[in-house]
Amino acid sequence: MGREAREMEARELRTVGAVTRRKDGLAKVTGTETYASDMELPYMLHARVLRSPYPHARVVSIDTSAAERMGAICITPDDVPDIRYNERQVSVPVKTYRDRTVLPWVVRQVGEGVAAVAARTEALAERAMRAIKVEWEELPAVFDAHKAMADDAPQIYENVLLGDAEFPIEHNVACFRQVSVGDVAVGFEEADLIVEREYQTGRVYHAQMEPKAALCRPLADGGIELWATLQSIHNTRQLLGRIFDLPLSRIRVHRSTIGGAFGSSIQMNTPVAICVALALKARKPVKLVLTREEDMYDHCKYPAEISLKYGVKRDGTIVAGELKTLVDIGAHNIQAYPLLGCMSGWFVSLYRMPHMNFEGTAVYTNKTPACAMQGYGNPDVSFAVESHMDIIAEKLDIDPIELRIKNYVGLGEEFWGQGPTVRSIIRSCGVEEMLRKGAPMIGWDERGRPEDKTGRYRRGIGVGRTFHTSGTGAAMPGEVIDYSTAMVTVNEDGSVDMSTALMCHGGGTLDACAKLVAEEMGVSFDLVGVSPASTTDTGYDVCTHATRGVYCGGGSAVKAAKSAKAVLLDFASRLIEVNPEALQIAPDPVTGEGVIFLEGAADKRITVGEVAKTAQLKGWGTAIAVESHRMVNCPPCFVTNFVEVEVDTWTGEVRVPRAVCAVDAGTVVNPDLAAGQLEGGLCRGIGQALLEDTAYDPVTGEMTCGGMYIDYKLYTAEDMAPVDDVKVFFADTYEPSGPFGAKGIGEAANNAVAAAVMNALQNALGIRFQFIPITPDMILAAIHGWACEGVLPA
Amino acid sequence: MQDIEIKVNGRPMRTTVAVDETLVDVLRQRLGVVEVKNGCGQGDCGACTVLLDGEAVNSCLTLAVQADGRQVTTTRGLGTAEDPHPLQTAFIEHGAVQCGFCSSGMILSAASLLQQNAAPTRDEIREGISGNLCRCTGYTKIVDAIDEAAKAGSSEERSAR
Repeated sequence: MGREAREMEARELRTVGAVTRRKDGLAKVTGTETYASDMELPYMLHARVLRSPYPHARVVSIDTSAAERMGAICITPDDVPDIRYNERQVSVPVKTYRDRTVLPWVVRQVGEGVAAVAARTEALAERAMRAIKVEWEELPAVFDAHKAMADDAPQIYENVLLGDAEFPIEHNVACFRQVSVGDVAVGFEEADLIVEREYQTGRVYHAQMEPKAALCRPLADGGIELWATLQSIHNTRQLLGRIFDLPLSRIRVHRSTIGGAFGSSIQMNTPVAICVALALKARKPVKLVLTREEDMYDHCKYPAEISLKYGVKRDGTIVAGELKTLVDIGAHNIQAYPLLGCMSGWFVSLYRMPHMNFEGTAVYTNKTPACAMQGYGNPDVSFAVESHMDIIAEKLDIDPIELRIKNYVGLGEEFWGQGPTVRSIIRSCGVEEMLRKGAPMIGWDERGRPEDKTGRYRRGIGVGRTFHTSGTGAAMPGEVIDYSTAMVTVNEDGSVDMSTALMCHGGGTLDACAKLVAEEMGVSFDLVGVSPASTTDTGYDVCTHATRGVYCGGGSAVKAAKSAKAVLLDFASRLIEVNPEALQIAPDPVTGEGVIFLEGAADKRITVGEVAKTAQLKGWGTAIAVESHRMVNCPPCFVTNFVEVEVDTWTGEVRVPRAVCAVDAGTVVNPDLAAGQLEGGLCRGIGQALLEDTAYDPVTGEMTCGGMYIDYKLYTAEDMAPVDDVKVFFADTYEPSGPFGAKGIGEAANNAVAAAVMNALQNALGIRFQFIPITPDMILAAIHGWACEGVLPA
Repeated sequence: MQDIEIKVNGRPMRTTVAVDETLVDVLRQRLGVVEVKNGCGQGDCGACTVLLDGEAVNSCLTLAVQADGRQVTTTRGLGTAEDPHPLQTAFIEHGAVQCGFCSSGMILSAASLLQQNAAPTRDEIREGISGNLCRCTGYTKIVDAIDEAAKAGSSEERSAR
């Protein structure tokens, strides 16, 4: 779209970009919102799961007789379908690795379920679960990705399925990916300077506030109805159909409000299949809510070890780059293959490299399985690359911001969205604007040099920039499924219903889609209702993940609104005798109801409600439309974080007194909620940089935090007190392929924060930390030159 | 088992509980008071915060029998959709609500704080809600909302005088 057209559209936006009260706000603050864990049904049974105390063991026998004598319904691996599946259904089947069953005979991590019970009360279920006797044969276990690849390492899997074909597992390598462009050896030969470093990131727990829950009701026709903690109701339905051999028409999965996700419910979580199996056996509704401890053993973020090498010319031009990564995926391969593809894409799309090579290896260990967490490998790649940019800038004596501006992938260039098969051209870009505008806001030029800083408290300023993809759409189909379906209905009173299977994780996705529909329909935001959703009353939507809600989900909603509007205007044209193409709709300034009018003709006016009602009475039908829509792009939403740190050199503690968060999200649909997402992402990013990780006891295979919040540290409001000074701004851009110019935001909020914090620490102390999280003891060790694991020589 | 009576938001509710049952389980599973959320059951996250005779407590660390004969206030008792409490309104206006799972407990901790200290500083607000975890917001907007509600409350008090 040309600048003129863009300005005209921007001027005319009424609802998109306005600050509105979120539709679910009152329900959430007054306690009437219903989450999956709040659902109850008559005659419902409560479930508990018997979990492995061993990191690797074979179940020799299970005796449930004592539990059954208590009246409990029990299931063991014998009672569940012998189907190997992958709980994540976002990739095409031939690229989906399947390694798990509902309840396994071989457990591969502490906390893996082997049997489950359902009983009238949770207390009785707990007693019955404890009465089950399991005879175990312990197997050797391995907790380190390097050791897992050794010749003498215990074999965690002999084979898994890739699609429907057997796929042998050797040296515990779950999958490997190599992607290259040009000839990296030639590139490094052309370089004046080569910089090589190692980086590591942690296995952070998602810590979504709601422990995962499922409630399943068996239906008279043999089908099931389900409420659960999910990011995709349709993929869950398809997977349950496959596991339990049920026609999809007999499975109804409801959208439930979700108490946070951060990626942890992209896949159908483990409690869902267990709950369904119990309900089918009990022939009664069964509810299963995980304890926090169970939830913490259910998933974590993918960690990464990264070896990074860049070759640059003396003037700072990057000529070659190579990134090799090793990812410890834990006991199951949920989405390591697409993860490695994405990591290659994040690497390629950050800075231009004529020659590049990426190699990623994902390795099984006997630990909690890792899955996507906000950023999906991007915070890890960006931490490494953005640290590297500062190192290169220092070596070449170039301002770090200028080095970034010289090399970033921007307007008109190819963007790899979610890996090598998801490519598009960048059509909107605020990278330079955010760097140039953000620098003076944080006081970039006054940040000083570390060698000049003295005293107990030392401050430093750092920058990190990156992006996330808006969804996984592309011109050609790739390895990742991506489209959304929406239905828009014009009601007989002039209000509008929007129905979609999209989820809101709390960031305001459904409000954003309602705004986009309001904008397109010419009615007020208040008059657009978000319908409750289930699989039987919505069309397919892949999943609310990959920062695709507003761009892809919103794209389908706008398309459906356009189609419904066309029907409505056709009805109106018959009533007021005006060519429908000449008609416009705008909300009445007082009532908010849409008014259909012909510009300049006072007598050619009729309200949306009058048209819809008259069409109903005359039997013309309803102005309604359903659209299934795939976006042909996946535009990057760029992000830039500046942070200031203050290090107490006596204790090693780090505070973040100030930060600037900027995002290029195209047209910002919900400005206040978007700012909230950036602040939340900042907090989680600081946690990844300075606090959060899960460690394992190498003897028991248990997490050292024991699955407890008290020992898995999270920031409280008090800890985050210093960041009262957060400035947020949005780049002034417009995405031509997006709904009203919008792109995504979600994951971008978190992706560059750890890098910015580490660069700020370097500016404060003159020490380059390459392993995160960096804890106070590591900082002290680095300052004093003490030996400490994870602290490399400068 | 023991018979108990708890006044939940002013309404007496009777039930029979085991002496080791926690208040959060009795509220959620026996009395249907599901606006009280159970985030960890370990006293760490604060999602289950209720006011017990006006004082904020973790209902997962409180035995149900300890609440016998006492008043429990939940976020539904503070306000309704038709007549929300100023804190509830401020939470919506300031973007302090995202997923909403912590909101109920967070608002009750804030209400308890404002009862004890009508004009808290931002640091006092942060201390007052430090027993309530939020994973979505980074807390700043929650502090903004409580700050705003406190200021509105104290100016209301002044104008009432």
